[in-house]
Amino acid sequence: MVSKKITVTNAQGLHMRPATVFSQAVTKFQSDVKVVFNGTAYDAKSVMMLMAACIKSGSEIEVQCSGSDEKEALDCAIKTIESGLGD
Amino acid sequence: MKGIAASRGIGIGSICLIVEHDLSFDGKKIENVDAEKVRFSAAIEKFKAETAEMAENIRKNIGPKEAEIMEGHLAMIADPTMSGEMTKMIEAGQCAEAAVTAVCDMFIGMFSKMEDDLMRQRASDISDIKISLLKILLGVEDVDISKVAPGTVLVAHDLTPSMTSQIVKGNVVGIITEVGGKTSHSAILARALEIPAVLSVPDITKQVKDKDTAIVDGTEGDIYINPDGDVIAQYVRKREDYVRAQAELKKFVGKKTVTADGKEVELFCNIGTPTDAKKAIECDGEGIGLFRSEFLFMDKPHLPSEEEQFMAYKEAVDIMGDKTVIIRTLDIGGDKEIPYMDLEKEENPFLGFRAVRYCLGNPEIYKTQLRGILRASAFGKVKIMIPLVTCVDEVRAVKALVEECKAELKSEGKKFDENIEVGCMVETAAASLIADMLAKEADFFSIGTNDLTGYTMSVDRGNAKVANLYSAFQPAVLRSIKNIISAANEAGIPVGMCGEAAADPLMIPLLISFGLDEYSVNPVLVLTARCIISKWTKEEADALADKVLSLATEAEVVAALKDAAK
Repeated sequence: MVSKKITVTNAQGLHMRPATVFSQAVTKFQSDVKVVFNGTAYDAKSVMMLMAACIKSGSEIEVQCSGSDEKEALDCAIKTIESGLGD
Repeated sequence: MKGIAASRGIGIGSICLIVEHDLSFDGKKIENVDAEKVRFSAAIEKFKAETAEMAENIRKNIGPKEAEIMEGHLAMIADPTMSGEMTKMIEAGQCAEAAVTAVCDMFIGMFSKMEDDLMRQRASDISDIKISLLKILLGVEDVDISKVAPGTVLVAHDLTPSMTSQIVKGNVVGIITEVGGKTSHSAILARALEIPAVLSVPDITKQVKDKDTAIVDGTEGDIYINPDGDVIAQYVRKREDYVRAQAELKKFVGKKTVTADGKEVELFCNIGTPTDAKKAIECDGEGIGLFRSEFLFMDKPHLPSEEEQFMAYKEAVDIMGDKTVIIRTLDIGGDKEIPYMDLEKEENPFLGFRAVRYCLGNPEIYKTQLRGILRASAFGKVKIMIPLVTCVDEVRAVKALVEECKAELKSEGKKFDENIEVGCMVETAAASLIADMLAKEADFFSIGTNDLTGYTMSVDRGNAKVANLYSAFQPAVLRSIKNIISAANEAGIPVGMCGEAAADPLMIPLLISFGLDEYSVNPVLVLTARCIISKWTKEEADALADKVLSLATEAEVVAALKDAAK
């Protein structure tokens, strides 16, 4: 498993649209992708779970990827968050 | 039957009843899991196809922002957790209806408990998805409003924005609902589409069926179900008269607004976004009497910056050229959900921390707006209007902030109109009672009759049980309006009116008599107002006003005005 911590900086936090952008970006990987926030792991391929986590702008999250393409998945996840999630 | 006249004109047609469906089901265990999974998948596919089509329609007919709601539904249903949990429950022997209900209810519960307002709205999205899926699974057909036949009268409990978005203007000739008032969402949309509408007709959905014939008189607020031939013939004539009158209005295009005895007044428009200014020009408005600035704050996930505000105001000012643009500063309170503004939920939001009270309590937010307006004033004729004024201190405090902003802009070398006027909305009983004192502080008045009526009559216009009290023709409201206009006239400051009453044919002669200088109306009513104003002389209007002000009840007032109407 590979993982990395990152701060969510887009203004809305992980609301509907940003969460959709993020989950779509990681869904194409075979690896399991999880977002750990406040000690709970959420399935990053699920918009509903991402929104349920209620991650606000400025929050630090950890992205965990495990599977055959885990490195690529993590790179993509981090890049997507850094780019502002379509905001 | 009678309801609230919400959108003018006569519609005669065949009823299409929009019913709330019974979505109960028998939650029995299923035998054939595979067959149930196939049924479930088919329902999901159908939902996706329908939702995608709706999103596309909304994008084409209304705009991309409105389409986002539907696109959000698509993203949610495509979610692996959502469909995954549902599939798991079906595999455990539940029927598809039970699985959809349980999983959606779980998410609704989860989202509705969240602190974040935007997130709580997701609960209603999931509820929509649940209802749509259940309808598909149970084979309940929804009326497709976009496909109703020409000559249809829509009857519904309430008209939601998504229903209204499907209306094809040529096919729907009338609207009847059980709730809503003149200023409700459905009324505003009906007027924008120019479809006659009568709202707040109690239990109408229980009294009619599909294909019943209906007459909708949106001017008077009357409806007739399955009327006899004489009544239909009478209304066919009325409809022709109305259509002819609309054609006559075209003659007033490009003319000045003058009374029958030659007094010129200003006829402005109320707008809510910069692009509405184009509509004001198209409809021959002579300026903007009310530019609501709330859209800037509602449409964004964060406070609009000074630059964003400046650009939006400048856009409207540019469209209007050398014509006046009166910008009302932020008029918002605890009844609106703007998550980033920390507006507390209040017991009585309409009596609470809102409008100018909020702005003076948050001077940094207010100054950002004032600076944006001031910078736009360098490009045209801009005025600042303060909402919900109740005392002189508020006007003084706002003027002090305007001066502060001017000094800052000057030191930064930014241009603005040094002599920008600052006026106040007069829309509370308090402001009306001290109109003479306010007139010494303000550069102009604008009477907001919607709120003035609500606050004076102490009535919630959205509540059907008391909405009958909500009338600008109540003697108390008329006295208030007269007092405000007299105070402005005596102080020598211009006085306008930006509420719905300014375009009311019955109210106009009274306003001419009282001495109103500026009428600000919905753009589509510019020509109507100009036509009516042209019919009255001051002398005739005075005689009518004298008579009306001596009448003690609203019913007598309205009867006298209708009797005298031209």
